[in-house]
Amino acid sequence: MSNPTTKLLETAASPRQPTIDGPQAMNGRVMNDRRKDLIQKFAALAGLLVLVAVFSMTSDAFLSVGNGMTIALQVTSIAYLGIAATCVIITGGIDLSVGSVLALAGVVAALAVKAGAPVPLGMGLGILVGAFCGLLNGLCVTRLKLPPFIATLGMMMVARGVALQITGARAVSGLGESFGELGNGAMFRIVRIGEDGFPDVVFPGIPYPVVLMVVIAIAVAVMLSRTTLGRHIYAVGSNAEAARLSGVNVAGVTLFTYVLSGTLAGLTGCVLMSRLVTAQPNEGVMYELDAIASAVIGGTSLIGGVGTISGTAIGAFVIGILRNGLNMNGVSSFTQQIIIGLVILLTVWIDQIRNRR
Amino acid sequence: MQQASLDTAPGRFPPAAAGTELLRLDDITKRFPGVLALDGVGFHLRRGEVHALCGENGAGKSTLMKIISGQYQPDEGSITYKGEVRRFASSLDAERAGIAIIHQELNLVPHLSVAENIFLAREPKRGWPSKCFVDRAALRRQAQACLDRLGVDIRPEAPVKSLSVAQCQMVEIAKALSLNAEIVIMDEPTSSLTESETALLFQVIRELKDQGVGIVYISHRLDEMALIVDRVTVLRDGRYVDTRNFADTCIDEIVALMVGRSLDDKFPERTSVPTSDVLMEVRGLTHRGVFHDVGFELRRGEILGFAGLMGAGRTEVARAIFGADPPDAGTIRLGGREITVKTPRDAIAHGIAYLSEDRKSHGLAVKMSVTQNLTLANMGAVSNALGFIDRKAEEQAAWRYIQMLSIRTPSPHQVARLLSGGNQQKIVIAKWLFRQSRILFFDEPTRGIDVGAKFAIYQLLDRLAAEGIGVVLISSELPEILGLTDRVAVFHEGRITAVLNTRETSQEDIMHFASGHGRPAAPGAETP
Repeated sequence: MSNPTTKLLETAASPRQPTIDGPQAMNGRVMNDRRKDLIQKFAALAGLLVLVAVFSMTSDAFLSVGNGMTIALQVTSIAYLGIAATCVIITGGIDLSVGSVLALAGVVAALAVKAGAPVPLGMGLGILVGAFCGLLNGLCVTRLKLPPFIATLGMMMVARGVALQITGARAVSGLGESFGELGNGAMFRIVRIGEDGFPDVVFPGIPYPVVLMVVIAIAVAVMLSRTTLGRHIYAVGSNAEAARLSGVNVAGVTLFTYVLSGTLAGLTGCVLMSRLVTAQPNEGVMYELDAIASAVIGGTSLIGGVGTISGTAIGAFVIGILRNGLNMNGVSSFTQQIIIGLVILLTVWIDQIRNRR
Repeated sequence: MQQASLDTAPGRFPPAAAGTELLRLDDITKRFPGVLALDGVGFHLRRGEVHALCGENGAGKSTLMKIISGQYQPDEGSITYKGEVRRFASSLDAERAGIAIIHQELNLVPHLSVAENIFLAREPKRGWPSKCFVDRAALRRQAQACLDRLGVDIRPEAPVKSLSVAQCQMVEIAKALSLNAEIVIMDEPTSSLTESETALLFQVIRELKDQGVGIVYISHRLDEMALIVDRVTVLRDGRYVDTRNFADTCIDEIVALMVGRSLDDKFPERTSVPTSDVLMEVRGLTHRGVFHDVGFELRRGEILGFAGLMGAGRTEVARAIFGADPPDAGTIRLGGREITVKTPRDAIAHGIAYLSEDRKSHGLAVKMSVTQNLTLANMGAVSNALGFIDRKAEEQAAWRYIQMLSIRTPSPHQVARLLSGGNQQKIVIAKWLFRQSRILFFDEPTRGIDVGAKFAIYQLLDRLAAEGIGVVLISSELPEILGLTDRVAVFHEGRITAVLNTRETSQEDIMHFASGHGRPAAPGAETP
C-alpha cells in the first residue's frame, strides 16, 4: 500500500512557521547531543580508570593480566544479573528473585548431573528452571497485575525454599571434573612445559564465564538499541499506556524481560556452581541487590524508560574492582560494604544533578 | 503566506506607569540549549488588572510565566516587583514574595482534604513540645475563610479526589489567597471547565481583581477573554510584539499579532467531497453502563463529528472501536467485512487509529525521542524481518514528517517531553500518518493548542478526508464541529440521539440533542 499522506501533507504543512533547518544544518547540534552522551559515558569510565590507577599504586599485584582475569571472572555473576536487571528496570519493573532463582537453578543442574544426566543436559535443565521462574514472575506481573516488587519478592522466598527443600539444605558435591569445566575452563590458555619439567603458564586464558559475559552483553545491548523489541522495552517503561495504544504488546514485552531475567539467573547459577564444583542452596543471597546496584550505577532509572547495557557493564566493574582492590589492600569486608554503599549513593546523586538542569 | 499590514515587528515596550505598577519585567532573555526562548521581552502588570499573555506554541509564554514565578532565572534583564529589583531563586522564593502560580495540570494531593491541601506544608500547629501537632480546628477554620473569600461552596473536609476539576481549581486559588498572593498566574484555567464552571471562575477572578490582586492570564480561548481581561500582551517567537488595552482591540487583531498575519477564516475551505461509499459501519455497540446501542457509518471523503457534553460517551465509543476498552456487544464492519477488535493492536492492523485527548499520558512516550515516538506504531516499516531497526530509514522518515508537519524541534533526537503541546500533538498525528492508518479518530485534537497550529490541524483533517481517509472528529467546541464536519453524531448519556447534516443544522440544534431534549422544531435531523 502506498502512503497517500506523504503527498497530501506537503500541501497541508504551513509554510509560515520557520522549521528546523534541515539535516545538514542540524548535524552540528545532533553531534553535540551525541558528544554530550559520550562525555557522560566517559565520565563513568574515567571514574573506573581512576579506581584502577589508585589500586595500582596501592598494590603491586593489582595491575596484572592474572588479576585482570580474576576481576573479570568475579564480575561475571553481577554482570549477567545486572544485564537482566537493566532490561526489567527499563520497563519500570524490578526482579528481586534472581539471587534465589540462581541457587535453585544451580542446585537442579547439580542434582540432575548427580542423577546421571550429562553435564550440558543438567545445566540446560538448570537454565530452563530459571526461565520458568522468570515466566512465573512475568505472569504474576502481567496477568495477576501484581506489583513487580511483590511478585518477585514472593518468588525470591519460594525459589530459595524449594532449593533448600530439594537438597535438604546440604551442598551437592562430588559432581565430577566435567561439571567444573564451564566455570573454570578458559579459552586461549597458553601453557609451556618449562625446563624443570613443570608447566609454566604464559597466558592464563580468557575464562569461559568472561567470554559468555561479553557475548551476552553485546547481544542484549544490540537487542535493546537496534531491534524493535528493544525499542518496545523502552516504550513500555516510558509510558505503558501510550505504548499499548500504539499497538505495542505491553504484556508480551514485559513478560519477555522477566523470562530473560530468570534465564540469565539460571545461567548465573550454573556458572557459579560450576566454579565451585559444588551446588550450594545458600548461594547468591543478596545478589539481586548487586545486580540492581550495577544497573543503577550505570545510569538506569528505577522509574523506567532509561538505561543502557554499557552503563551497567561499567557499574558491574566498578563494584568488582572496588571489591578486588579493597581486598588486596586488606580492607575488611564490612568496610567494603560501607564503601560500595556510599558509591551507589554518590553516583545516583551525580546522575540526579546531571538530569536536573 | 504574506505578512499582514498590521504592525508585527517586535515592538518597543512602553515606559513605566507610576503608582499602580505591581510587576515589571524588562529585556528578559532566556536561552536553552539550541533555543533562544525569550529575546528581550518586557511585561508589565498593574494592581487589580487581568493581564492576558498571548502567543502561539513556542512563543515563550510558559517560559515567561516560569520566570515570573521563579522556576527559571532569566539570563538577562530585570524583574521589578513592587518597585524593587528582585531575583527569585526558586518558585518557593517567589511564592513567599506573594507570587502564586496555578498550573494547567493542578498540583493537589488527591488523598488529602481540601483544607490540608490549601495549607500543605504550612499547617497551623499547636501543642507541646514545640507545636508538633496539626491544629485541625484552626486548619479547618482558616481554609473555610479562604474559601469564603472566593464565595465558593466547597467543604474544607472534602477529599480532593472527590472534587471536579473546576472545584480543584478553586482550591488552588484558595491556596494562592492563603499565601497572601499579590500576583496570581493562571495557565489555561478554563481548558477543562464547562461553561457554567468557567462563569464561576470568572466571578472569582473579578473578586480577586477588586481586592487588588494582579492576574496573569494565559489561555488559548481568546473569545472568553473579553469577559475579564483588561490588557493583553502578545509574544511571538520569543519576542515582545505589543501590549494593548483589551477594550481597544478585537480578537482578530490579537490573533493577527500572534501569528504575524491576519486570519480571515478560522476554518479552512473544505476540499474533500463526501461520497456514499461506506468506509466503516458500526452497529449496536454497547458497553454496559457506559454507552448503549451506538451505531453510525463513516463515509469516504467526509469528516464525521462526535458532539455532546463531557461524559456523553464519545471518547468511550472511540476507545471501544480502537480496542482500548473492548465493548460488550456490537459489530464493526470495514468496507463491508466484519472485523474483530480486542486490542489496539488489532485495530491498528486494520488501519484504525485513535489520537487521545490526553497526549501526555496516553499519546506520547515522553522520555523517548521525537523519532522514536514517530515510528513506535510502525516499527515494521523501519526494521527488517529479524526486528533489526534500520536507523537511517528511521531518521529519514522522522525528517520527512518533521518537515511536513512543521514540528518545531531542535533535533529529531530531542526528548518528546521538552516540546510544546502543539508540537507534541503533531508528533502523535505524524505517528499515525506514518502508520498509514485509513480511519483516524481525533479526540479533541486542538485542546490546548494555539490558533495558528489549530488552523494547520484543521487543514490536515480536510486533506486527510480528501485523500479518502475516514476522519472522525470528537470535539467539545461546537464551532469546530460546525466549521469542519460534514455530518455530526450527537451523543447524550451514552447514546447517539441524532445524526445531523452539518450544513443544515445549527449550534442550537446540536445542543438540543446533546442535552437530551429530543427533536427540535428545525428540520435536518436524520434519526439513526
